[in-house]
Amino acid sequence: MPEMEKKDQEKLSFDVIVVGAGLAGGTAALMAARAGLNVALIERGQTPGGKNYFGGTVYTHAMEEIFPDFWTRMPPLERPATEAGYWFLSETGLTRIMVGGGELSRTPADAYIGLMAKFANWWITQAQAEGVFLIPKTLVVDFIRDSAGRIIGVKTDRPEGDVYAPVTIICEGVNNLLTQKAGLIDHDVKPERVALVVKQLISLPTETINARFGLPDAEHGLAVSVMGDISLGLTGLGFIYTGKDNVSIGVGVDLDVLDNHHVRPYDLMQHFLKHPQIAPLIAGGQMLEYGGHLIPEGGWSQMPKLYADGVLVAGDAAAMVNALHWEGTNMAIIAGKMAGEAAVEAHKRKDFSAGSLKVYEDKLKDTFILKDLKQYRNFSKFLINHEDFMSVYPTFLNEALGKFFSGFGKPKREVYKNILGSLTKRKPLLKAAGDILAFGRSILGR
Amino acid sequence: MTMKSEKDIQKTLEARHLGEALPPVFVDDMLMSLKYYIDEDEAHLWIKDHAVCKTCSGNGCLYFCPVGVYTMSEEGKIQVSYQSCIECGSCRIRCEKDNIGWKNPRGGFGVAYKFG
Repeated sequence: MPEMEKKDQEKLSFDVIVVGAGLAGGTAALMAARAGLNVALIERGQTPGGKNYFGGTVYTHAMEEIFPDFWTRMPPLERPATEAGYWFLSETGLTRIMVGGGELSRTPADAYIGLMAKFANWWITQAQAEGVFLIPKTLVVDFIRDSAGRIIGVKTDRPEGDVYAPVTIICEGVNNLLTQKAGLIDHDVKPERVALVVKQLISLPTETINARFGLPDAEHGLAVSVMGDISLGLTGLGFIYTGKDNVSIGVGVDLDVLDNHHVRPYDLMQHFLKHPQIAPLIAGGQMLEYGGHLIPEGGWSQMPKLYADGVLVAGDAAAMVNALHWEGTNMAIIAGKMAGEAAVEAHKRKDFSAGSLKVYEDKLKDTFILKDLKQYRNFSKFLINHEDFMSVYPTFLNEALGKFFSGFGKPKREVYKNILGSLTKRKPLLKAAGDILAFGRSILGR
Repeated sequence: MTMKSEKDIQKTLEARHLGEALPPVFVDDMLMSLKYYIDEDEAHLWIKDHAVCKTCSGNGCLYFCPVGVYTMSEEGKIQVSYQSCIECGSCRIRCEKDNIGWKNPRGGFGVAYKFG
């Protein structure tokens, strides 16, 4: 067909298309470009990172795996996470279980607090420097398929915006519309398997942050998950991350729980920010930015198929998040790397079939990503089935320790009886033991 | 689909008062901190059929949307301020009637986080 041939010459073609310029997409594109392939990285935002919102940490092991000279590149990070742990809130009380020093005092630290719009943007400039061709302000709306149904490119919302490549790597984030269109998963994200997280970024002077959070200088930082009163007894988690001159503070709650209780997420966040133990930490601060994002916490059971003819998927779009260990950014980077490598190997074999791209999944099986997601496959179900887990025990913990460290001059047998009573009035002992056991099973993958 | 028992429904209705216990926040104040490139020509969110919203028991979109895109007019019609959307996807996923049309804003439009 001569007409087709003419078209072929005019069409925009690359060796690899990557959809979404976040950490997964940027890394996938980088690995393919590094191997000498022509890579188009298509981003719907004005700039890479502009659609990213998170409160959290990025991980040294993953960043160094991509850039061995990572630290000489002056990455825009906030502080190392030198102290990490849990805060448990009751209505007025606060119990902290924090670890610092030891494993957390390494240089470089294992985890760094960052702001994702800034960091992802920087990450992509590193990829561009190695030859990745960025196409911003462009939305991919569908795939182009050959007569056999294999994906051979993408349709964008630009005029004459078709782009062709024998392999496309989907890194579109949690709203996995393209992953669905590619046939890698047969349903939309389920509301009981995502957390809606809202956050405020609050500006405070460095010295104020140091003093209020007990940090010696800006080379020390705090990463905290907060449980208890903040979520009104709902399955939810607060978080605090200290930046250089800012604090990320917010709350995440399962989407269906918010809906069932008619709770507005920003009302809940304000409730947390006004808690008597929290408010003084951020008093006088200016809000720099408010935002929200969904976290795909469904894990193993909600993962799409990771490959098909001409297509791979990585990052949030593939539900690569470990909710308990705060991991996600490292999974995005490592999975992105492996997807990029799989595309390179497919080019060497000149075979872009599902069978050839399966090497991506094989590689992932050997990493913490698929091992952990499998091990934790029942964890999100545990939280759904134990809605009060995050309210009963934090309050009990505060009451128990409060009773232990007060009420002096009373017979101690009475104090202990009292402590036990503050648990059993909320939960029968057997039920409490069952909760602990179920929790243990869910994280050990039994 | 499993039918909800009378007890479950009662429980749901009681639970729905939980949000009312919280002092309300004026969300527009928080949106002042955000940068948007607003697409004046095309709405990326829409109600598929307003009649269906009248049959919705919860109208959860009025609550869970983190930027208050959805409000109810005096005539009881759901209004959509797509301009303040931060593209989280909650409404698409959660609308119990599957009555919200949702797509990403066209390339270059929508929220643009500065810090993230």
